[in-house]
Amino acid sequence: MQAAEKPPVGLVYDANLGQTIDSVLALALLHGFAGKQQCRIASLTINYPDLRAAHLCDAVERFYASATGPGLGGFVPAAAPIGIAEGHKAAPDLPILAKPWESKIKKWNDTAIPELLIRNALMAQYDGDAVMVLSGPATNLASLLKLTDILPLLSAKVRVLVISGVGFNADIPAARRVLAEWPTPIVCCSPEIGEQLPFPGASIDSAFSYNAAHPIAAAYRAAHEMPYDAPGAAMAAMLYAIRPNDGYFTTSEPGAFSISSDGAVQLQALAGGPHRWLKADPAQRERISKIYVEMASAKPVAPPPRRLPPQLQQEQKPPAKPVGR
Amino acid sequence: MIVTRKALARRTFLRGAGAAVALPFLDSMVPALATAATTLKPPVRMAFVYVPNGVDLRNWSLGYEGNLDKMSRILQPLEPYKRDINVLGNLTHNAGRALLDGPGDHGRCSASYLTGIQPRKTMSNIKAGVSFDQIVGKHVGAGTSFNSLEVGLEDARQAGDCDSGYSCAYTNNLAWRAESQPLPPTLNPRALFERLFGEDAAMTPEARRSRNLYRRSVLDLVSDDAKRLAQDLGPTDQRKLDEYLSSIREIELQLARADKDSIRIDPGFDKPYGIPADFAEHFSLMTNMLTVAFQSNLTRVATFLVTREGTSRAYREIGIPDGHHPLTHHRGQEELMEKVSRINVYHVQQFAGWLGKLKAIQEGDSNLLDNSMIVYGAGLADGNKHSHEDLPTVMAGRGGGHFQTGRSIVYRKETPMCNMFLTMMDRMGVPTEHFGDSSGPLEGLDLS
Repeated sequence: MQAAEKPPVGLVYDANLGQTIDSVLALALLHGFAGKQQCRIASLTINYPDLRAAHLCDAVERFYASATGPGLGGFVPAAAPIGIAEGHKAAPDLPILAKPWESKIKKWNDTAIPELLIRNALMAQYDGDAVMVLSGPATNLASLLKLTDILPLLSAKVRVLVISGVGFNADIPAARRVLAEWPTPIVCCSPEIGEQLPFPGASIDSAFSYNAAHPIAAAYRAAHEMPYDAPGAAMAAMLYAIRPNDGYFTTSEPGAFSISSDGAVQLQALAGGPHRWLKADPAQRERISKIYVEMASAKPVAPPPRRLPPQLQQEQKPPAKPVGR
Repeated sequence: MIVTRKALARRTFLRGAGAAVALPFLDSMVPALATAATTLKPPVRMAFVYVPNGVDLRNWSLGYEGNLDKMSRILQPLEPYKRDINVLGNLTHNAGRALLDGPGDHGRCSASYLTGIQPRKTMSNIKAGVSFDQIVGKHVGAGTSFNSLEVGLEDARQAGDCDSGYSCAYTNNLAWRAESQPLPPTLNPRALFERLFGEDAAMTPEARRSRNLYRRSVLDLVSDDAKRLAQDLGPTDQRKLDEYLSSIREIELQLARADKDSIRIDPGFDKPYGIPADFAEHFSLMTNMLTVAFQSNLTRVATFLVTREGTSRAYREIGIPDGHHPLTHHRGQEELMEKVSRINVYHVQQFAGWLGKLKAIQEGDSNLLDNSMIVYGAGLADGNKHSHEDLPTVMAGRGGGHFQTGRSIVYRKETPMCNMFLTMMDRMGVPTEHFGDSSGPLEGLDLS
């Protein structure tokens, strides 16, 4: 069933949380836009196979969910699961994960299988009403592509896959599979764009100060020695994914990406090709920096109820008619 | 060495005037010189026992993984069988979720439970999918009298709106022969008995009552044949045959009691003939017949819709006059949640009774339960929240010695319930690459 009026775009975010602070900031940016109902968080998955990354993600999610109290009738929505890749860690542990993040996730089976979480989330999106952002290796998306009948679903639901180039080459076979088989347009943000558009670290002590235990600020401080401005490729990818038509970025001529054995991503020009580079406009730098801070530091807000909980729907029906007869 | 013993055919019937009774698995059915490779193994059977409206997860969940130890309150009746079961956690039916179809979780969860397909939201031109029990039944049914049996305990209509625009066909059936053809469960024990052992199911209640005055036991009809066969059986098989025929006789007596009860308790009520007034008796009678049907290889596949999804049935048998479905929307009220838990326990008690019957029937070196996969489950987890993840699931039996039992296994979140179906299909000899939203076989069940 497809409604005439679609809700804000549903965003599927597959992040290398724990490996870069950039990916954490992109998650904060996502929450900022979701709080202003400019997008919805369809699913969150992590492509760095370390349960502590799920702890970090859970801590962030619980912070933003803190504004969501019991709804009408005392109905409290269940926390959405977090998906995380299992496997061998290719990178050394990072300071950001050494911090003991408060989390209810204790075991791997407290988390979801990422490709299934993404698929199931996409099935709940209206056609053409989802965008995907990948920061880090394409491990989870390659697993997604292995699922039966997934290509028609991706084609129907996903407008565009936006890739942050940082860490994309950490799993070259997965990257090749995604670049070869992904059925929707792909826009890739190179690491250089992230360097050109860093997140202003000075804002951590000001814009985030409304909560002394702000997990984004805590993660930022834990990631590197302060002060520093974090490169923002994942933030750029997220901003473009949510606000593609607001003039923050432009894109290259179309082509087809390939990835070499040393991990370099190249775009071969191809008329009508499905792939493009994201391009930064120096004139937009101040504007982008401002919206990064504004949205990443936005206070948690309760999401609007999508529909009444079941028992309240029952109450609104004629009382004599039981369900299931 | 002189070998005189001849092997009895697996599908041997005791025959008499108008009756044919299939035999259980007997030692004599194993060829005398059978090697390990050629030994006739009892067939694997599978059944689903479905309970509606979710459960009180506080009292269902075990809270631990590994070997089954302390059972939760709702699962406590399964304590005697905890070495014969696995309690499975985090299995999900995404097709039961709203996705884009709004309210109607009861309609979706039951229709998708065995089909793995989100049903079309409609009250008229229904569409779901072929349920996996029917796929299995079609493949293994060639060696049995019935591809599958569908039974239930609650009368329910098949048309109209039963949940927010979902047809009653969705809430009131588990098995689907085709995407638009559900298989309504047989509710009347006598109809099931006659389907299994006789051909007079079409008779009117009056005619049947009149006939019953002169009725002889179906066992009387085949007694001569049974005596002849017994002469060729060893002592063990003779005992098995006696026990088996006694269980059929017990069912006949139960049916006779049910006939009497239904007349005595509610003589003017338009109620199907022969249905016991007591829920537990009804459950017991139906499972007795499923047991015999499995034992005698009349079928290898069964679905049991205990009560329809979304039912508002009251459980006065255990002092609960409130409707089941309204109780599950308890909004956290302890008094209502307690009643839900009591209903859940009551259901599991009945299920445990069936497991006891299956386990008591020896088949070679194992028993009928060992050679089965009996799943007890619900299409909703939390009936208050209408959640479709971490569905309450117990898998009883070893699937023909293939499964390691006695464990609590918690899978990662979003693991499809259809993965369990794939594994079961494989055990039933119907290997399948994909079903519903499966992503692969369910790991962790097999003996390592």
